[in-house]
Amino acid sequence: MPMSEEDRLLVHAYLDGELDFADALALEKRIAEDQALMKERDRVMALRNVLHTLIEPERPSPALRARIETAVGLRRRLRPRSLLAMAASIMLAAVLGSAATFLVVGSRDEDSLADIVVSDHIRALMAPQSVDVVSSDKHTVKPWFNGRIPEAPRVVDLAKDDFPLVGGRLDVVRGEPVPTLVYRHHKHIISLTAIATKGKSDTTPQKRTDDGYNVVTWTEGGVTYLAVSDVSDADLTHFVELFRMAPADQ
Amino acid sequence: MAVRTPASVPIRQAAPAEIALTAEDDSARFARVVLPYLGDAYELARWLAGNRTDAEDIVQEACLRAFRGILRFKEGNARAWVLTIVRNTAYTWLGRNRPANLVITDDLEAIERAENHPDYPTGSDIETPEAALIAKADAARVQTALAALPAAFRETLVLRDLQGFDYREIAAITGVPVGTVMSRLARARRRLMGSIVKDDDDAHV
Repeated sequence: MPMSEEDRLLVHAYLDGELDFADALALEKRIAEDQALMKERDRVMALRNVLHTLIEPERPSPALRARIETAVGLRRRLRPRSLLAMAASIMLAAVLGSAATFLVVGSRDEDSLADIVVSDHIRALMAPQSVDVVSSDKHTVKPWFNGRIPEAPRVVDLAKDDFPLVGGRLDVVRGEPVPTLVYRHHKHIISLTAIATKGKSDTTPQKRTDDGYNVVTWTEGGVTYLAVSDVSDADLTHFVELFRMAPADQ
Repeated sequence: MAVRTPASVPIRQAAPAEIALTAEDDSARFARVVLPYLGDAYELARWLAGNRTDAEDIVQEACLRAFRGILRFKEGNARAWVLTIVRNTAYTWLGRNRPANLVITDDLEAIERAENHPDYPTGSDIETPEAALIAKADAARVQTALAALPAAFRETLVLRDLQGFDYREIAAITGVPVGTVMSRLARARRRLMGSIVKDDDDAHV
């Protein structure tokens, strides 16, 4: 059966994360039963994937930036003295920058990381929508992250264990966008943030509480995970076990 | 949502306090509101203008406009605000410098209807390729096909699929209702799917 224009727009809106949870679920059911809808979904996903992988964003030239900064009074013609000052401040920025990178990798830092992630979790709960992309389908959630951040997180399906995927969102941790997966357990929301920490060795899950929320942290394959929720300690630990044991997605 | 630009760190420290106070305030505001999105601005301008040189001119002009109007920005979505100015500047610039090529973008849907889909919008799935074929497209072909889209389709697709704006933001930036954004996006994608695959048959167009 040919697809109506309305259905076509619905499939696109679904893939663009524009449907609310109930509508997204209803459409997923219809897609599973309707060849035309399924083909449209696959086509749009293939196209988006092609666009993300083949079209490289191009940075504006330093010369353009310099012209603009000069035009708005942020930069003056360089004189020897200010050149020195600038060199000094660039060195300072470099030192600060490397210190920050080091901090993320250091393990004592996990307390403050947990603080940030718990705040993001609370803020998301207060927002009208706790997710930026609504879908229980990992094949929708994972590609959504592509193009927004360098590397999409590992997404696993835990619906049969009573932890259905709700969707994903981007959080900001120290000025960097990081992916957060959102799962549900009965009436509770679990935020799972994945932060790339290349070079950090694997650690087993560590429990802590922060602002009354349970937090479980571990590092695996250069990624530090922080699971945050108000579910019980035991449920969150169970969730983390399931997530870690789930097979890698293709 | 506060966004800091790394570039502003050395610059602000290097700038001596000789600049007049008001100018400094506007400049600092510009550095905070506009500069973080210079990359996005340039990207959109490049897709609208079709080449780097013109994109640079457009971005520079748009930035001056943004600077002059910086006090009109009342917090909120700075990225969308900046790209709205870039988009409007781009069309003014193109109208001034390439009047012959300027496409009237108002009733694209009607043009398309007359052009090749007599039975649009209830038309069937004629000639929309399978996902597997789309996945095989190569970079040069995708670039060319995207550049060849009519401007209203191209800007909608670039804002959504390359820059990640949501429907409401795109509606605000391009000044059309959300419904129009949706249909333009679907049509843009459909055209793109058709042309990146169709070129396979007659490869040397």
